[in-house]
Amino acid sequence: MRRAPVLFLAIAITLLAAAPASADISDTAVKAAFIPKFARYVTWPPAAPARTAGQMVLCIIGDDPFGATLNQAASSQSVDGRPFVIKRLSSAAGSGDCAIAFIDGSHAGETLSALGRQPILTVTDARSSSARGVIHFAIVGGRVRFFIDNAQAQARGLTISSRLLALAIGVNQR
Amino acid sequence: MRIALGAVALGSILLCAGRASAEAVAEQPDLSDLSIEQLAQIKVTSASKTEEPLSEAPAALYVITGQDIEDSGVTSLPEALRLAPNLNVQQVTTSQYAIAARGFNGVQAGNKLLVLIDGRSIYTPLADNVIWELHQPLLEDVQQIEVISGPGGTLYGPNAVNGVVTVATKSAQDTIGGLIRGTVGPEERSAAARYGFSLGSSGAMRVSANWLDREGLPGGVGPDSDDDMRGWQAGFRTDFGGETDAFMIKGNLFHATDDLLDGDRLSAHSLNGRWSHVLGPNASFVFQSVYDWYKRDVTRVRDSLTTFENNAQLNLTAGRHQIVAGAGVRRTNDLFINGLNAFAVVPERRGLWVYNVFAQDRFAVTNDVSLIAGVKLEKSSFVGWQLLPNLRVAYQPSKRALFWAAVSKAVRTPSRIDRQLQLPPLLLPSTDFDTEKLTALEAGYRGDPTSWLSLSVNLFYNFYNDLRTTEFLNGATIPIELLNGRKGRSYGIEAWGKAQVLPWWRLSLGATTLHKSFHVVDSRIDLQPRNSLGADPHWQVVGSSDMDLTSKIRLTLDVRGVGPLDLAPEVPGYVEAGGQLAYDLNDRVELFVAGRNLLHRTHAENGDPAASQVAHRTVYAGTRLRF
Repeated sequence: MRRAPVLFLAIAITLLAAAPASADISDTAVKAAFIPKFARYVTWPPAAPARTAGQMVLCIIGDDPFGATLNQAASSQSVDGRPFVIKRLSSAAGSGDCAIAFIDGSHAGETLSALGRQPILTVTDARSSSARGVIHFAIVGGRVRFFIDNAQAQARGLTISSRLLALAIGVNQR
Repeated sequence: MRIALGAVALGSILLCAGRASAEAVAEQPDLSDLSIEQLAQIKVTSASKTEEPLSEAPAALYVITGQDIEDSGVTSLPEALRLAPNLNVQQVTTSQYAIAARGFNGVQAGNKLLVLIDGRSIYTPLADNVIWELHQPLLEDVQQIEVISGPGGTLYGPNAVNGVVTVATKSAQDTIGGLIRGTVGPEERSAAARYGFSLGSSGAMRVSANWLDREGLPGGVGPDSDDDMRGWQAGFRTDFGGETDAFMIKGNLFHATDDLLDGDRLSAHSLNGRWSHVLGPNASFVFQSVYDWYKRDVTRVRDSLTTFENNAQLNLTAGRHQIVAGAGVRRTNDLFINGLNAFAVVPERRGLWVYNVFAQDRFAVTNDVSLIAGVKLEKSSFVGWQLLPNLRVAYQPSKRALFWAAVSKAVRTPSRIDRQLQLPPLLLPSTDFDTEKLTALEAGYRGDPTSWLSLSVNLFYNFYNDLRTTEFLNGATIPIELLNGRKGRSYGIEAWGKAQVLPWWRLSLGATTLHKSFHVVDSRIDLQPRNSLGADPHWQVVGSSDMDLTSKIRLTLDVRGVGPLDLAPEVPGYVEAGGQLAYDLNDRVELFVAGRNLLHRTHAENGDPAASQVAHRTVYAGTRLRF
């Protein structure tokens, strides 16, 4: 009985210390923040739309887990002064001007295949797809990390900086 | 009275949500100024708390996410399935459950549900039921559980009559790092450990083990039995592959004992491999192979089963057509020795085959309207080829709404019990017991009318034929035989909604109704109607509240009300509640207290006269450590 006030005090202090209330950060929000930032650590071949166009086209092909979160994350980012525009596609058709493509959903493998060897930074997520793009998101110890398929990057004519490679869980060199 | 309460609750949800809708959208902190190294250090919740993207599947679908399971504080797969409003979950003993969608629930009657864990089908050919106590996966591994009420369509294998439950565990690539969990309480204790690591440059693997110790339930409808359970399960999963090929291999060991009789034990193991291959821009295939074994020695009954299963599925896209075609073969060898009483399954040991072949075309008639036509052919050792067509139409006026309607045929293949259970001269084997047949009419809506609200409403009208009856062969004297003497209809509504009332508060509410009208043909008499029709509630309501009280404290509460069981008058309706209070001590350690069935000391859920115990109040405290 004597302990009860102590317990309540402890709970009150905990609650105060933790305030103000805010939601947990979801993995989706962190992935959305990552995707436009990847552009800074990737070099596209000179003829690629990612180098020649006036804007960086960020494509979501298939399911869209991000919604407005990605638009928000991309709006504050740019590459050499060129802003991002987001393009949502249901299949690889119309992907010619994509610089980055996040590919999700049950047809991710076919979409990757349909992109052929285009100079596009392909991104997939282990949570929802067994198909693997150049960058494949995964959760490691409760944090968002990724695998990098450097062989696929090279086949697409992309060069990935060592700073990004250093953050990868695994790098497929081949 | 109850309906009025529900309406008031729903009304207040909608009111609150309306006020908060503007805030609910932009809840995430700004991450744009962080470096990629800083982003890689942010502790995240492992699954999105917002709604899963609207699935295009034109069926009555409810998705339970891994995060929902962790927040609810449940410790077993059947308890997790209570989160789905379109399932009725009845606890029978500490570890035995009867689970059904759209009726026919019970220990004997619950034979119309297909359950898959990572593509491994777990219903048994002995009675077409699921022995839930054999399946104790580490719940932290679960990515999501899809619960479809209704026949589910062409793409699911045999036994998908009234529902399909698909449990998908996380990719090994998504569980790198360590996890330790322990819970302790007067009624149950558990411990679990998992470690995941990258394998080579692109693969990953995890190994895990969990241990459980549950006290027995008090006797209720049935006599009190020593149904406490202790056991462990260990397993691994590895995922690897590259751009065009992906491989998954998964293995599992399980062992448990109870105190019903000396020597009672359950053992199981399984191995499961899957190969996904991309053939080109418009084609891919998946091949899956499963080996599964279990043995139950319970109350002098030995039941053991070995299963080999192979499935292949081809996906093609051609213009406006999305075609899926596939085939599966399942070989089972089972042994059933009854040392408890004189009922026997003859022969004791029997091998059975089940084959199925299917094809489906999803044709985009316009940009909004799709027509899905599929046909499945199914054959087993007991019955010849069955033609099971289904036709669906989906109308998607926007990304936020899906209207659908379907007509499908499904059958339940005769089980060993249906055909070969006997006790001469009392009960004769039923050598020509036929499939139970269903023609289902369904329609539904699923959508997100606003950014903070998602809704789903489904209607069904089912016509059943050739359901099992237990009848005297000559008027009112023995022998007895199992026959296909019953037909009838059932119909009902399933509806649920989720509202993000405030950025930190989510509410959900779901309700189902079920009406059954069955009769035995030619005015014959069924001696055991409950064995075939089950004992079902005519209504069920589930609600939950999920609050992030602070950035470190989460409170989840759930309430369920279940109506009285129609064919088990000894089981009245009940209202129960549970929940979990979780506190993140830091970004590695989580502490929680949780409870189930908190409102009453005990309550009955199932009316099996031989086995049923009563569910009891359960509380425990625990911790989860991630590194």
